[in-house]
Amino acid sequence: GFPGAGPAPGAPPSGPYPGAPYGSGPSPAPGAPYGQPPPGGPYGPPGCGPQPGPYGGAAPGGNAPPGVDPEAFSWFQAVDADHSGYISVKELKQALVNSNWSTFNDETCLLMINMFDRTRSGRIDVYGFSALLRFIQQWKNLFQQYDRDQSGSISFSELQQAFSQMGYNLSPQFSQLLLARYAQRSPSPSIQLDRFIQICMQLQSTTDAFREKDTGLVGNVRLSYEDFLTMVVTRML
Amino acid sequence: MAFPGQPAPGGGFYQGGYGGAPGGPAFPEQAQDPLYGYFAAVAGQDGQIDADELQRCLTQSGIAGAYKPFNLETCRLMISMLDRDMSGTLGFNEFKELWAVVNGWKQHFVSFDNDRSGTVDRQELEKALMTMGFRLSPQAVTAITRRYSTHGKITFDDYVACCVKLRALTECFRRRDVSQQGFVNFQYDDFIQCVMSI
Repeated sequence: GFPGAGPAPGAPPSGPYPGAPYGSGPSPAPGAPYGQPPPGGPYGPPGCGPQPGPYGGAAPGGNAPPGVDPEAFSWFQAVDADHSGYISVKELKQALVNSNWSTFNDETCLLMINMFDRTRSGRIDVYGFSALLRFIQQWKNLFQQYDRDQSGSISFSELQQAFSQMGYNLSPQFSQLLLARYAQRSPSPSIQLDRFIQICMQLQSTTDAFREKDTGLVGNVRLSYEDFLTMVVTRML
Repeated sequence: MAFPGQPAPGGGFYQGGYGGAPGGPAFPEQAQDPLYGYFAAVAGQDGQIDADELQRCLTQSGIAGAYKPFNLETCRLMISMLDRDMSGTLGFNEFKELWAVVNGWKQHFVSFDNDRSGTVDRQELEKALMTMGFRLSPQAVTAITRRYSTHGKITFDDYVACCVKLRALTECFRRRDVSQQGFVNFQYDDFIQCVMSI
């Protein structure tokens, strides 16, 4: 059957939050494994990278649009480097970092922008960005839950566990392949938050695509080559 | 296609300006292959290259010609296309295979890039894919051109990324189409693994 107890489309389950050390949002939290985050939150200061200057904590954000969290709004303004009122894949990439301080990869940023982009313009506005931050925080909580040894990244066995707990029945070879593709080359490869989000989002898209065809919910579909290509290409690119 | 490092006239081992592997090449017949020079220059002791090294290797070899060098994500895709042992790396023979395939795609792309701009437009992309033998529905073509075009133009790099994905999907389907009728019965778990492996 399908992973019924798994994450709802688009968001991970709002299960129990991990313990205190991780904090509860983009606010500075002490300690390992994510290190001492610089001001601005565990994702690094907005626009961290080539931009100089301190960002401090969130500015008051007094002009936040209705319904938008002031902290998310001030972060939006910092990330929207060209002040266009929209955040592009490139701008988003600069704002998000993994536990090893690498910026989020292009694919994950693209997937997330597409998810929150209502205008199909390849960019998101402040409302989309605010929703995206909540989305990331939920995935981050889940990531930390599966990161049992608190290393800041997810190993082969942790990934197997994660899939199983999300309700997927996937082979060890599959997890192996994902690690080979997405982890740094090392004796014990593991994946960072960005790739974890990408993988989980793609699992959900693939499941949705399959479920759409499997009207009888039998777990099996008969596809022509053209249908197969169309299904995958329209959902996975 | 002419690329730097043609064998010296009269045969013999030509080092292509990059030198052979330290201590000399492992297999004498590889040494005479001009491609070996590029490969050996970036491969480590294990004789394998990962995505970063592939990017460097392809850039140095000039396969992209007048076009910009490949981005890392495309290199990662190219490795996954041929990575039979799921190691995330390519050995020399796999690299040679990749080279031949990419060269073929390049010739094809060039034939559609009439103004030599390094890009093709949506209709040209659709034509190029059709002539390569991919049977795509209108929705699929729309999704592809939306994903891979910037301001209505598709670069060579993105074209290669697109070809790699379509080829991998086709292989995935074909391997399961036992009766060769153009239909496959997919189990859910197999479908996920198939699609996410590309």
